[in-house]
Amino acid sequence: MVDHLFRHQYGKLVAILSKIFGLAHLELIEDAIQDTFLQASLKWRQAQPDNPQAWLTQAAKNRAIDLMRQINAQKQRHEKTVHGAATLEINEYFLDHEVQDSQLRMLFVACHPAFSREEQIAFALKAISGFSMKEIAVALLQKEETIKKRLARARKKIQELDITLDYPAPGEINDRLSAVQQIIYLIFNEGFHSTKLNQLIDKDLCGEALRLCQLLLVKEQFRSGNLYALFGLLCFHASRLDSKIVDGKIVDLKHQDRSTWHFPLIVLGNDALNKAMRYSDQSIYHLEAAIAAEHIKAIKFENTNWQQIIDYYNEMFELMPSDSIRLSRAITYLQMERLADAKKELDTIDAAAMSQRSYLLHGTYAEYYAKNGEPTQALAAIDKAISTCTNSLEREYLEEKKAGMTSPD
Amino acid sequence: MMIFIGASYDELGLSPEEIQTQMGRWFAWGDKMKEQGILRGGAALYAKGRRISGPDRIESDGPFVESKELIGGYYTAAADSFEEAAKIAQDYPDYHLGGTVEIREVVKFDR
Repeated sequence: MVDHLFRHQYGKLVAILSKIFGLAHLELIEDAIQDTFLQASLKWRQAQPDNPQAWLTQAAKNRAIDLMRQINAQKQRHEKTVHGAATLEINEYFLDHEVQDSQLRMLFVACHPAFSREEQIAFALKAISGFSMKEIAVALLQKEETIKKRLARARKKIQELDITLDYPAPGEINDRLSAVQQIIYLIFNEGFHSTKLNQLIDKDLCGEALRLCQLLLVKEQFRSGNLYALFGLLCFHASRLDSKIVDGKIVDLKHQDRSTWHFPLIVLGNDALNKAMRYSDQSIYHLEAAIAAEHIKAIKFENTNWQQIIDYYNEMFELMPSDSIRLSRAITYLQMERLADAKKELDTIDAAAMSQRSYLLHGTYAEYYAKNGEPTQALAAIDKAISTCTNSLEREYLEEKKAGMTSPD
Repeated sequence: MMIFIGASYDELGLSPEEIQTQMGRWFAWGDKMKEQGILRGGAALYAKGRRISGPDRIESDGPFVESKELIGGYYTAAADSFEEAAKIAQDYPDYHLGGTVEIREVVKFDR
């Protein structure tokens, strides 16, 4: 059976049935779809059908007809549905291009401005990507109860604001599209930058972000330079997914075996960046993709064109100043042995504002002090990094760094 | 006969991905037994049921037991001993979900 068939099928079927019956019935629809999978798990126990996808689709169609009865009954409408005609109509919704369209609409609904960022991500992962609440909780490092509440709030807003499965008005489409891209970017980063013990779920998140991006790219009207740039960026990052953690240990960029980077994704990323060039718009995604491309271009870590990377970071900072760009710039300066510049940059960052990620700042300080021949300060900084780091894999990485540091006499 | 006891996937709240993974394991097990030529039969059971009991033949609707004690299905397979049957049952896919396999010998009726 195709990998993730059920998960992807879930998203598709939820979108189709939501289009038929309306988002107001989302909960009912999700339960019904879940039930078709449970049925399959019983009915297929001895042998799978020749075409599992067709089986699931047919089951969902049958469910749709059941649901129609159920919903009509809820509405207290006792008029009889003409089943022949209804079935014909339902078939229309299951045509490929209709399915795609329904899923795109769902993606736009997920990014509705009435939802908070957290609700948007949880909603997208549930309704479009078919993650369970437990899986979302694991993926986002939250409690299951928290995710449950977020989803319930989103559903409530759908009811209260009467949100329908439609594209936003022409005047709002650009804002919404950029929100959609941000959500895709955030979902990817959740998977890429986190280092959970459960790596599988991280890869799934990255895969979903790529898939959603591709879903958008199918429609000509949504294509833009920044969407292609985003897709390219995700491809480049994703190509390194398997090289980042080896044998349960973090391997940093410097020490990654570059021959293990996934070449087809790099090609796909390159292609996307070339397409991005054909549009006139510019975005932070272009610059981030360009930086990722610089790393990929370098055959060895030592060949990295750091000056080019600094230039890109400077451009990014102009567009959207942030502490994380400052930190990246400081790390780049350290690679260039521009120690004074690195220190100056680090001193402008507010450690408290970085909250959970402050260990990154302390870790970079440690590297600065070590390079600058101040082992006492370096040790103090790495200890601070270790004590503020909550992730066991990252902590191990820092401990190993500490072990490799020269101790003061 | 291997009788499968444990909460249904519904009750366990498995995600679509997990359901697919579990199914893959059921297929693999079924195929393995077929290849070995030892699979004799089996069935999966819905959770919903009805009971008739006692001299008054009182009928009642389930659930009758706690969900973790629910019989979800069975396989019959050829084995020469309980030890051998227990070896076959090692491939049951739901142990990590709290599932149990009960092995019982099927009585061969005299003809």
